[in-house]
Amino acid sequence: MRLFRIVALWCFILGSMAGLQPAKAQPAQTEVELSSAQQPEVEMADTLRQEGKIYVVVIVLLTVLTGLIIYLVVLDRKVSRLEKQMRD
Amino acid sequence: MKKNWWKALAVVLLVFTVVAGMLSNVPRLAILNETIRNLYFHVPMWFGMILILTTSVVYSIKYLRNPTVKNDVIAFEAAKVGILFGVLGIVTGMEWAKFTWGEYWSNDPKQNASAIGLLIYFAYLVLRSSFNEQQQRARISAVYNIFAFAALIPLLFILPRLTDSLHPGNGGNPGFNTYDLDSSLRMVFYPAVIGWTLLGIWIVNVKSRLEILRQRLYETV
Repeated sequence: MRLFRIVALWCFILGSMAGLQPAKAQPAQTEVELSSAQQPEVEMADTLRQEGKIYVVVIVLLTVLTGLIIYLVVLDRKVSRLEKQMRD
Repeated sequence: MKKNWWKALAVVLLVFTVVAGMLSNVPRLAILNETIRNLYFHVPMWFGMILILTTSVVYSIKYLRNPTVKNDVIAFEAAKVGILFGVLGIVTGMEWAKFTWGEYWSNDPKQNASAIGLLIYFAYLVLRSSFNEQQQRARISAVYNIFAFAALIPLLFILPRLTDSLHPGNGGNPGFNTYDLDSSLRMVFYPAVIGWTLLGIWIVNVKSRLEILRQRLYETV
């Protein structure tokens, strides 16, 4: 059950990553054309997201989040166990 | 397990927030640049704080109508988590402000008002800790909590809008309005608000159950 949940979570992460990438590839060019035609170019971390290492940042943030959530889940279970003991 | 579906929802929404928040497309705006992504992490702290403090007030009113230990404990724990969210909101706001407005603290009306609001809630913690008698503590802090909440709403939502503010949507500043309509921002922002709020409620849930257990233990011993 627990393994299933972890697998499901990672499928979701990978799925959302895969879903975002093709959506990004196309508009990147049209947007550059737009911005150069209308206004002075606004600096964005395009290269960072395309060839750069933004995925490392995502992985680090996910690790921090996962750690905190696992901590909370363990705490939650401990309290549940205590509640059960109290009831008996 | 069936009762805990909302905890799983919180996890899913937060994972989505981090992944989509970093990788999705955002409007290209000068000065803000990529910091616009802070919208998914700074603003939900305040939305979460308001929602959790509302929970706290509801339980304070419930306590005054029906004085049980449970109502008092939930009101107190929710207020503490709300204050935590508020502190995180003000700190993340200062970090964001340094790089877009130039100063950590520029005496922006909304910054000042939220600082005053937090101080009012710090006073709640001090007030609560100054009673020994449980019923007296619960009743007086419940009444104070209602007044604190009533002071917080105009401080955050009315007063800053009456003057010029650097915060978007206040005074003559168009701010977020220009890209509020951007559906790619909304698509991550709303899940982020729900996810962070649910995480806060989860913490309130665990802390309240622990506190109720502790009090019951003292009763039996």
